[in-house]
Amino acid sequence: MEIEHRNNITVVGDPQGRPVVLAHGFGCDQNMWRLTVPALAEKHRVVLFDYVGSGRSDPSAFSEDRYASLDGYAQDVVEVCEALDLRDAVFVGHSVSAMTGVLAADAVPERIGALVMVAPSPRYIDDEGYRGGFSAGDIDELLASLESNYLGWSSAMAPMIMGNPERPELGEELTDSFCATDPDMARVFARTTFLSDSRDDLEKVTVPTLVLECAQDVIAPRGVGAFVHRAIPGSTLVTLDTTGHCPHLSAPEATNEAITGFLAGLR
Amino acid sequence: MMCRAGQQSGPYGADDEEAANASFAALLEDGAEELYENAPCGYLSTLLDGTVVKINATLLGWLGLEREEVVGRMRFTDLLTVGGKLYHETHFAPLLRMRGEIGGIALEMKQAGDKRMPVLVSSAVKHGEGGQPLLIRTTVFDARDRRAYEEELLRARKAAEEARRQAEADRARLQQALAVLQRSLLPDTLPAIPGMETAAHYRTASPDRLGGDFYDVFPLGGTRFAFFLGDVCGKGPEAAAVTSLTRYTLRAAALHDPDPVSVLATLNEVLHERYTGGDPRYCTVVFGIVDPDPESGRAAVRIASGGHPPALVLRADGRADFLPTPGGLLVGIMPAASFATAATTLAPGDALLLYTDGLTEARTGEDRTALYGDAALRAFAADHAGEPPGAVMKALADLLDGFGDGLDDDTALLALGVPSRPAPGPATKNTP
Amino acid sequence: MSALKIVTRDAATGPVLELLGELDYATAPELRDVLATVTLRPGQRLVMDLAGMEFCDSSGLTALIIARNHAHAARADIALAAVPARTLRLMNIAGLDQIFSLHPDSDVATRP
Repeated sequence: MEIEHRNNITVVGDPQGRPVVLAHGFGCDQNMWRLTVPALAEKHRVVLFDYVGSGRSDPSAFSEDRYASLDGYAQDVVEVCEALDLRDAVFVGHSVSAMTGVLAADAVPERIGALVMVAPSPRYIDDEGYRGGFSAGDIDELLASLESNYLGWSSAMAPMIMGNPERPELGEELTDSFCATDPDMARVFARTTFLSDSRDDLEKVTVPTLVLECAQDVIAPRGVGAFVHRAIPGSTLVTLDTTGHCPHLSAPEATNEAITGFLAGLR
Repeated sequence: MMCRAGQQSGPYGADDEEAANASFAALLEDGAEELYENAPCGYLSTLLDGTVVKINATLLGWLGLEREEVVGRMRFTDLLTVGGKLYHETHFAPLLRMRGEIGGIALEMKQAGDKRMPVLVSSAVKHGEGGQPLLIRTTVFDARDRRAYEEELLRARKAAEEARRQAEADRARLQQALAVLQRSLLPDTLPAIPGMETAAHYRTASPDRLGGDFYDVFPLGGTRFAFFLGDVCGKGPEAAAVTSLTRYTLRAAALHDPDPVSVLATLNEVLHERYTGGDPRYCTVVFGIVDPDPESGRAAVRIASGGHPPALVLRADGRADFLPTPGGLLVGIMPAASFATAATTLAPGDALLLYTDGLTEARTGEDRTALYGDAALRAFAADHAGEPPGAVMKALADLLDGFGDGLDDDTALLALGVPSRPAPGPATKNTP
Repeated sequence: MSALKIVTRDAATGPVLELLGELDYATAPELRDVLATVTLRPGQRLVMDLAGMEFCDSSGLTALIIARNHAHAARADIALAAVPARTLRLMNIAGLDQIFSLHPDSDVATRP
């Protein structure tokens, strides 16, 4: 299967620039980066994609087995990099995707040369000596929330028909429903995301890494960013003065500034 | 969805005028502030970071909170359950940021006493004169009844799906059991008879219903082999039980005394004893013994028939004749029954064909009203006389295919033949 | 709807069942049901009039055997009248012509 089609790959910016891959987290799709792309496109080849099961990816490529672990999502990243034959790319991952990037960089080191981790969390559930912010029961509640929005009281959350790039009205619709996914696939992604524990994977990181955290983040509480920073030697931690889990939406200027500054400092 | 407190006023007569005026006055007194506070839905306004700056009495009442503990102190997400919070952060907030408004999202809010309240939330961003976002206005609707109904729907759907899955699994299991049982009624492979060739074919008319046809071939010691083919009346599990009993009785009886008539007499006794009364179970069967003589290349065949259609003998020279066994009675219906016997000798190139009436009773013709019949079968056999049993069987299987839905009943076929003599020549020893 | 119609009447020799239509796997139970309502006294003769029977398969033959058992259980006799040629051929193969008394028509069959 064509990876370009399967993962709904979009490439913009300077074809000669160092590639930057933008990876969305659980919940929405590549449209999350709309305010980030313009800041990067001038100097970089910017690659956007949707994980299988999200956005406008090909739903027929979904497999519950494959995406029951972060390795499945990391495999998507690897295959996207291979399909475009990216070398030494900067991988920018939001939320759970920050960890997906860690796994992918370990798998194909020649393709991923730097990491930007936006609001990362290697583990969402509290553990001894570690505060992830949630209990296991909380995750069940999220699954119930997904379910209750599935009946479609809101047109924005109604399951959209994915993987049909021939449809002409996609512009408007894409904006309107970019957080809508097939409920069964969303449930798998939610489980994989919130039940994962990737703390031990952090030490595998050998590339330059920027950790971006928000001052007030319900999903990745203060302390988690510092944990990631400590676990990755030589990494840089930047705390953005914003609220929420999506600094690229709530504080786009500060986020872009941090990322472009980091990119400029790379060799 | 609307948040509307008032009612449409209808026409009213002169008598009601005074009362109407009074309610109109009351409406006028219901100022905007009063409506905001006590509207039948919750209102709140927050800064862009979610800090609550304004909240109405209705929502405070639902949540069991005092204004002072909320305003300026809590964020919108603090009012949500953990599940609601996660959903808000991963779906609601990004969408609101991108679109400026969002409607009808199902969330859960925390109520006093660890209770939770399902709500439907709509939010819109208020922009300043320069277009910069200033604050978020949110309306909260009580969705408790709706959610209960919704959960009932989901529960019912899950139950229906579960029932369907269960039914499918049951059906698959049953079909597997039927297939195993059906196979147990037939031999997996036929034993090789030295100096002879054998071939068999079984065709079920309906995969759901166990058929009652059966056949088998087995050694009797020495050079002799026994064979039988028959048809139990009826179908389904009851017929299969009779088939099973019949098959094992024939085998056991033949080992005790292989004489075809005494084998059938034993079966008759067993079936009649087992199935007397209002539910008679019987079968038609041909039982025979074949004794090939490697010296002469000929095989002596003796058969006995109980109510079964006559066997066919296909000769090497292209003839096909019935081997009549008239007067043999169905096996199992009478306490003492008589069975008809016949004998023949198979020379090289000859074959004996046994069949059940599924073949001759197949409906043919355009309107499926004619029966295939004995004469057609005999003519068909003559066309294939001289061919080895495997080839005859292949031709018959194709014939059955051609009947399509004209095949009402199961059909069993068994052929035993003596291979043709190798053509004279110097190096023909390896000819089968 | 049914492809089989059964008409019952009484003759001097006992009950007569006239079978019209097809006697097969689908309709044989109807004959069994009717038989259960037919009372036979010892020495009577149950006559099955098959002149109008258009089709009979092995299930039909079973139903006729059940009728025979029913009659014999009441110490009565059974006779088949006007057996169609095709059914007669089946009965010959199955040896059933030996255990039923066969008559050309129901008039003959109901002669005392």
